[in-house]
Amino acid sequence: MLPAPLAPTRPAFLTRTTPVARLVAGTAWLVAGIVTLDPIVPVRLSLAAIVALWLWSGLPLRRIPGRLAPLGFAMLSLTVFSILLSSANGDRSLATLAQIGPARITGPAISAGIAVGLRVVVIALTTLLVFGPSDPTRMADSLVQQWHVPDRFAYGTLAALRVAPFMAGDWTTIGAARRLRGLAPRGPVARVREAGGRLLVMLVSAIRRAERLALAMDARGFDSGVRRTHFREFRVGWRDWLTILVAVAVAAAAFFVPR
Amino acid sequence: MTEAAVAGPLKIAAAPPSIEATDLGWTYAGRTRPAIEGLTFRLEPGRVLLVLGPSGSGKSTLARALAGLAPHVLPGRWQGSLRIGELEVAETPARLLGERIGLVFQDPDSQLVMTRVDDEIAFGLENRGWSRPEMVAGVPEALAQVGLSGFEPRSTVTLSGGEKQRLAIADVLAARPGLLILDEPTANLDPPGMHAIFEQLAALARRREHTIVLIEHRLEAALPLADDVLLIDDEGRQLAFAPAGDVGRDAIGLLERSGAWVPRAWQGARRADERAGVSAVERAGEPAASSRSVESGALLLEAVDIRVEYPADESGKRVALDGVSVSLWAGERVALVGPNGAGKSSLLFALAGLLRPAAGTVRLRALPRDAEAAEPMRDPSRLKSNEIAARIGLVFADPELGFVAGTARDEVSASARAIGGRNGSGIDEPDDRGADGVLARFGLGHLATEIPFRLSQGEQRRLSLAALALRPPAVLLLDEPTFGLDRRGTQAVLTLLDDRRTAGQAQILATHDPRLLPACDRVVALDRGRVVFDGSPDAFLAAPPYEPAGPWRDGVAVRRTDAAGRGAP
Repeated sequence: MLPAPLAPTRPAFLTRTTPVARLVAGTAWLVAGIVTLDPIVPVRLSLAAIVALWLWSGLPLRRIPGRLAPLGFAMLSLTVFSILLSSANGDRSLATLAQIGPARITGPAISAGIAVGLRVVVIALTTLLVFGPSDPTRMADSLVQQWHVPDRFAYGTLAALRVAPFMAGDWTTIGAARRLRGLAPRGPVARVREAGGRLLVMLVSAIRRAERLALAMDARGFDSGVRRTHFREFRVGWRDWLTILVAVAVAAAAFFVPR
Repeated sequence: MTEAAVAGPLKIAAAPPSIEATDLGWTYAGRTRPAIEGLTFRLEPGRVLLVLGPSGSGKSTLARALAGLAPHVLPGRWQGSLRIGELEVAETPARLLGERIGLVFQDPDSQLVMTRVDDEIAFGLENRGWSRPEMVAGVPEALAQVGLSGFEPRSTVTLSGGEKQRLAIADVLAARPGLLILDEPTANLDPPGMHAIFEQLAALARRREHTIVLIEHRLEAALPLADDVLLIDDEGRQLAFAPAGDVGRDAIGLLERSGAWVPRAWQGARRADERAGVSAVERAGEPAASSRSVESGALLLEAVDIRVEYPADESGKRVALDGVSVSLWAGERVALVGPNGAGKSSLLFALAGLLRPAAGTVRLRALPRDAEAAEPMRDPSRLKSNEIAARIGLVFADPELGFVAGTARDEVSASARAIGGRNGSGIDEPDDRGADGVLARFGLGHLATEIPFRLSQGEQRRLSLAALALRPPAVLLLDEPTFGLDRRGTQAVLTLLDDRRTAGQAQILATHDPRLLPACDRVVALDRGRVVFDGSPDAFLAAPPYEPAGPWRDGVAVRRTDAAGRGAP
């Protein structure tokens, strides 16, 4: 069973902004957080993101760490490998901070590694700020209305998102069926081959479901040549401009202000 | 962001149209045989048409033609004429048809597009270019029509199956069509969900604001709503079109022979007091369900006081089963019933050792002939995959998810190969020859090299049973084994199950279909994770342990009483 999506529990500043405005604002942070090798920039951005999540996102703060926990592993392994494999370790002019077997580790390698690991944090928190305050339907609406993204692409993707949880259930069922048929894999090679077979069945099932959904959408007049109207209209307002302005300013400050 | 909502005037509903088919036919691209052929009838505006026919008779194809999906969306060849009101379907743009016609499908989960209820209803209206005030007025109005007022902000994933299907009907009603087509709208629903849908349909039919075409297997509930019936045979040809109360004996006879379910009211007076399912199955040669004494067989499978829980979000754990005890003896067939969410699937999974209960024990005897032997009963979740396969089989509601091989023949021999001869039931033929024998016995002999996914629904169902026949497990668990099957298909499945039961196999059928209960020895009923009944089918049907009990007994008894007095016989 999949966990319920993280949704705002109260109205807040960002829940009243247009999704594409948050997309622009978030892009500024992602750019600033990714191009740098100095760990201070992602640290500053992460702190700013936490403040923004706390004060303006409307999301239940207590549930965020649990939701981001799986990323912790990615962050840690990225950090460790970046430190171990950093080219700075080969620079003889730098002092050796630690020696693990044949691996020599230098100060700049550690700081660059931490910067790489913290990128994951910035990306995760920024994504939450962009997508968290409204559900995916609003993002699709806003993309169609503000950026004129084609209906078929935006709402098709949305429909696919709705079908995705069923695929998780199918995967479990298929695995259960195989165990009871005496075909549960033993050993890593068998496991990979079995996963291929499972995937094929899941794909067939997903395609059948997608075909039925597409037919149901057609039956309800989707893309039938009529100009689509909008039940929810988004107009870019002062909150949106303020969000973009503040986000760009924070990104610039995090990037340029010296330590 | 969103501006304050201003409700405008409602769009004017399309008037209910007549339907006039003249020699109507449709052949899907890539097929040589037409799916429907030579349909000729005229349905007057505002009437309710019930379409009857066996599986594969083209009922869904007719629904698609009426909605204009054939020929405007689906590829294929159109024949004859179909007029809806003044519009000739094949010559009218899909856009115009869409404004007058609404189509509700069988599976609620593959026709809802949006995650929020109000967005879901608005989706179809946006597609048709409605103005915002019209939509703001139309959404709550549509929800009110299906009894879902106030559901606007709900997430569609939190709705029950019946609520989802009512939402799907609201989606279609919101566009205010004159013609409403429902293609087995209750097939996926539990008895209470089905009951709610039929109540909504009865209310709609009473108002006579729509022409309604209904395709349904649950005839006891559907027939009372119908003004006219259209009978189609297994080749997609018309057997009869007549007022519901005035269908000729000959046509009924032909319909029965085609393998379709036939309403009880049409089956004549000779077994007036019998339930539809029993008589239908018996007349077709099914031996009467003998009530056997449970003590005669050996205890094969036993769950004692089990508790199954799933991780939930904030509120801690969601309990699926609580203190459930069930025993299963050799040679008995048990029906497992209960509303959706009562824990039927969890119980099947726990019994098969696919999930380990948080408390309580599940114990499984090895094989029926070892039952007297000293081998202790074992926890199925601790058995190896090939060990469990020799003991327990599970057939899923969707047979496709259980297929493991590229051809029907390999599908049948796959389990036997994995289990090996040692644990088998004494069949020592080479697997391929054995597999062909099994396929022939299951009526699939000509399909040995066919890809399982390409078989029809009924063939897939039989193949999923055939796959367990070469090394028959001592215990067979079946989830909705007759879902979507007509009378002939249901009877075929029951006959195959009977053979194995006679050989000592114990069977559990999880089902929503009351027609199957008389063919079982015992009924176990679940409600909210607890066993609320464990006894004979007769006792269950006499007093179902649910409120209201009617839907569990024999379909539904929604009576339509409109001014014209046309109603249930």
